[in-house]
Amino acid sequence: MADVLFPVSLDQALDLLAKTEAPAVLAGGTDLLVQVRQGKKTPGIFVSLDRIEGAQEILETETEIIIRAGAPLARIMAHPAIRDHGSVLAQALAVLGSPQIRNMGTLGGNIMTASPAGDSLPPLYALDARVQLAGPEGFRRMPVRDFIQGPGKTALAPGEILWQANFTKPAPGTCHWFEKVGQRTALSISMVSLAALFRPDPDGRVSKVSLAWGSVGPTIVESPETETFLLNKPLTREVLAGAGDLARQAVRPISDIRATADFRRQVAGNLLMRLETPAKGKRLTRY
Amino acid sequence: MKLEFTLNSAKVTVETAPDRRLIDLLREDLGLTGTKEGCGTGECGACTIRVQGETKLACLMLAAQVQGCDVVTIEGLDPAGHHPVQEAFTGSGAVQCGFCTPGMIMSLSTYLAAHPDPAPEKIREAVSGNLCRCTGYQKIVDAGLAAARALKEAHRG
Amino acid sequence: MNTFLKTGPHGTAHPETAPPQIGLSQPRPDAAAKIRGTEKFTIDLPGKDDLWAGVKRAGIPHARLISIDTEKARALPGVAAVLTHQDIQGSNRQGVVRQDQPVLVDDRIRHCGDALALVVARDKTALGKALSLITFEAEVLPGIFSIEEALAEGAPVLHPDHETGNILLAGALTQGQGLDAFKACAWEVTISLTVPVQEHVCLETECGRAIFKDNRLFITASTQTPFRDRNETAQALGLSQDRVQVTAPFLGGGFGGKDGITVQTLLGLAALACPGKHVAMVWDREESFIASPKRHRANLSYRLGLLADGSFHALEARADFDTGPYDHLGGVVLALGLEHAGGPYAIPHTHIEGRAVYTNNPVGGAFRGFGVPQVTAAMEQVVDLAAKRVNLSPMEIRLKNCLTRGQKAPAGNTLARSTGIRECLAAVAAHPLWQGAGAWLKKAPAHTLRGCGLACAMHGMGFGPVVPDVAHAKLELTAQGRFRVYCGVSDMGQGNAATFLHIAGDLLCQPIDNIDLILPDTDQTLPCGSSSASRTTFTFAHALTRAAATLKERIVRRAADSLMVDDPEEFTLVPGELRHLTSGRAFPLAVMAGFMNPDERMAVSRYRAPTARDHVTDNKALKMHGVPHAIFSYTVHFARVEIDTLTGGIRVDRYLAATDCGRLINPALVEQQMHGAIAQGLGYALFEDFLTEGGQTLTRDLSTYIIPGALDLPPMELISVATREQDGPFGMKGVGEVGIDAPLACVANAVADACGKRPGTWPLTRVRMLALLKEKP
Repeated sequence: MADVLFPVSLDQALDLLAKTEAPAVLAGGTDLLVQVRQGKKTPGIFVSLDRIEGAQEILETETEIIIRAGAPLARIMAHPAIRDHGSVLAQALAVLGSPQIRNMGTLGGNIMTASPAGDSLPPLYALDARVQLAGPEGFRRMPVRDFIQGPGKTALAPGEILWQANFTKPAPGTCHWFEKVGQRTALSISMVSLAALFRPDPDGRVSKVSLAWGSVGPTIVESPETETFLLNKPLTREVLAGAGDLARQAVRPISDIRATADFRRQVAGNLLMRLETPAKGKRLTRY
Repeated sequence: MKLEFTLNSAKVTVETAPDRRLIDLLREDLGLTGTKEGCGTGECGACTIRVQGETKLACLMLAAQVQGCDVVTIEGLDPAGHHPVQEAFTGSGAVQCGFCTPGMIMSLSTYLAAHPDPAPEKIREAVSGNLCRCTGYQKIVDAGLAAARALKEAHRG
Repeated sequence: MNTFLKTGPHGTAHPETAPPQIGLSQPRPDAAAKIRGTEKFTIDLPGKDDLWAGVKRAGIPHARLISIDTEKARALPGVAAVLTHQDIQGSNRQGVVRQDQPVLVDDRIRHCGDALALVVARDKTALGKALSLITFEAEVLPGIFSIEEALAEGAPVLHPDHETGNILLAGALTQGQGLDAFKACAWEVTISLTVPVQEHVCLETECGRAIFKDNRLFITASTQTPFRDRNETAQALGLSQDRVQVTAPFLGGGFGGKDGITVQTLLGLAALACPGKHVAMVWDREESFIASPKRHRANLSYRLGLLADGSFHALEARADFDTGPYDHLGGVVLALGLEHAGGPYAIPHTHIEGRAVYTNNPVGGAFRGFGVPQVTAAMEQVVDLAAKRVNLSPMEIRLKNCLTRGQKAPAGNTLARSTGIRECLAAVAAHPLWQGAGAWLKKAPAHTLRGCGLACAMHGMGFGPVVPDVAHAKLELTAQGRFRVYCGVSDMGQGNAATFLHIAGDLLCQPIDNIDLILPDTDQTLPCGSSSASRTTFTFAHALTRAAATLKERIVRRAADSLMVDDPEEFTLVPGELRHLTSGRAFPLAVMAGFMNPDERMAVSRYRAPTARDHVTDNKALKMHGVPHAIFSYTVHFARVEIDTLTGGIRVDRYLAATDCGRLINPALVEQQMHGAIAQGLGYALFEDFLTEGGQTLTRDLSTYIIPGALDLPPMELISVATREQDGPFGMKGVGEVGIDAPLACVANAVADACGKRPGTWPLTRVRMLALLKEKP
């Protein structure tokens, strides 16, 4: 039997992590408790984030959006500030798991699982998000792309807690796009996903392109070559096809029970075709 | 541990292991077998309950997590079975084997409370975390629409 | 022809206090407890003091068992018993036709899910620990993981005692000139494909509870076959049948997956070892996936020959089924598949041949459709290929060749009874979805291809000519003046129990509230056969109808005699009472019951469904396995699909099915059956890919074995072509299965319409669809 503890402050939580044997941080539990059931994890004690003051907050400053690790996914995707400034993330969370999973699961949990198929990760990469880790020595920050080190692996040190993710608000007029390709519509794990941010200029050429793919490598894949290729070009079918070829070279997919590497490579490029649009300054609606 | 929470509108105090799965506490210790287990991994939605007004999966919760919370299971939605969603499930023929039914009803009743005028597609989304192997979902969507109409009428009346 | 009542609150027209009427939709009485969460399914029965039983499974696909070490498990605190084959007194064999499956392995391990040892423990924690402590020694044998490997020269033989080696059953049906007739054909089209293993995914996994007391074994299980279970359990464990009782509460889904032994024999063994204690067993999802039977994978190879005018002339069909390591119902599935291989078409010359083959893959067994979805997948595609070749539309070629009453089906049996396939086709052709198809096709958005597909199917009802398709109904007027239906056939969710109440209510002019239901119980109810084969309602309803007539007559006669009235016609049953029409006097049924002794208040009736007498094969084994059938239901499906060329996704946009299942007793329940069957059929076509490698199951949970959710299925429209089946109760025919036979073929034809290509391997997942689009035509 493992005890379940409910610290009410971050300090208390850090203290518990330091003092207990084999602690597991329990956020939404939607991944952790499945792993426990499968025998992949056997925590000596659960330290819940449920009742830590401020651990579920979503904050907006003039320039930034801050999402605390314990914020439930459903609340994030419905939050006006996220809808306005982080639509790509809201779009991704809207297709994560199921309504129940989104009520339970947290952003921190999704990041900490560090799955290449984690639906929140491509948007966070595309938004150039940073994470803030709390430890006995205080806070440290790093880009989410540095924090994620491999499948299931993060830079979190023992005794630390992932406290928040934050990102700078994209410039007005930025298009947000997320698409997940899964084996079914809901309750699905992504076979390939794409998060895209780009800003079309009045003449239709794009600046500020930011792309991130899920499930096509050990971690989220970005492709500076593809982004550079698209810069200052209109997103015509021909241009996007060219970008798709570059994307297919950039990804490093594997074959598994859900999809073949070939499928993933193909689709990673194909998904760019959806960006073909006359939309100027408008967010694309999901397909 | 001593666990105190509100279950179906009544205060409950039970002695339990803190890491006992909530679904086991409900079904085995408290005898509320209306909450079903179809997979144990959060994929089927048969164990959907309401915690603090939101739908959650009892198979992926530990007992200790509901300390002080308000929990509603299918048995507490309307013990007589007259909640508009329950009546619509009967009337629209949305019940077959009935094993997914409690979870479906918990999802739909929670959704409709916040979204009184749903399109059929939204009802499909509302139950997208609840798998059903019998119905093909058609009559569940019909029931959702019928329940929404009934709820609206009740509200007006 | 009448369309279904449009959905709405079915209850409003017929309040619960009024007697139900045949032909009108009626809410299911079982819904009342199900919507409140108070219905007790088998899985809900275990009490706090129950012992828990669990199984140590082999985990390897083929080996000779040398020894099992149970010492450590036995020594664990909280363990009540650890049992192996040595603890079994009976035959230690189970199976429906050939009893070739051990309860606990005594010699040979033949698939990963084979049970080696049984543990009974105080709680689930101790059970889990004990199971992990059991080890065994075995000599690993080379395995067989495909039909081809099983048939290869020098392949290991799974059942050395079986005369035909790895071929469980083989057979051929030849009509007319057989293959010689191809010489006369102007056109020939062919197709080969493989259809996948499909898992039932009943939301309630296999489970049960048992106790051995007073020298009898009592088992409650989630089962479609309580009476067969009683016999099999008694034999396997060495008890006489009268010492075993099996009861079956409402099932949380069955679909064929609970047609036969799952937990029953194991639970019986556990209970015998721990007398006086309740023992419970519940398989979790993973164990259910590994150990339970599935729909057979099949390899299909078809050749259809046509005359110059487009009429079907000759068919060559080959269908091989992977039956896994045990017979279960593999031979019967093969036989039904072969009988239906030519679909609902007039084809004068046919040669249909197939085999059910043993492998070390998971067990193949019963699954709604029972061999017919497999063969229909090939037949309906070859029909579309033929249409293209002879330049007819898919509708025209089907109207030209579909069977009419009085003709012979491709297996050679005469269709003497209601045969509504042509009317189903006509109903689809007249429907706005069909009529509007052309306009819809033209409006495909960017990166999508649109297509429309058509497919037909027919499905035989019942067990065929040899195995008696019998039900016994028992109906009681209770001392309290209520009626009680003793139903011996399981309700796995399809609502047959509701239909029996509906029928009894109609015949006895009683509201359903006045009728009680006794669910299957081998002590109280009478043998009714399995809940399967689209025969459940047909057979029992007949028996019930006769029992109702008998009981009604007894009540009336009793009243007539006591009032010294000559003409029983002067009486009629009305809700709660018997009314003397001439005098207007009414006698409460409780009073009537008081006049009658208990034996008189109980009516019993037996019914055996009609069987086909056609001699279509000299192969006795094939005939014994159920060929041919006498009564068929028919269906025509139409689908609009949209393929996303960027991701290979296939969205079924709309779905239409026109069905002849005879007259409808409760239209709402028929709609339920059609919706559910179509949903499972679309899952079979697009999502459900049960994967194994070297006999090991790869798809072990619901995140890897994908069944469709609410957002994955289209709105469905249904049309009823209500022929009147002359031997059907109230003119009905079975509807449980016919709806699952056509969806895969319907999607296949729609996809081919959209992209001009047909995949060789199903289901058509995104990965396969995208690869198909890249293939050169």
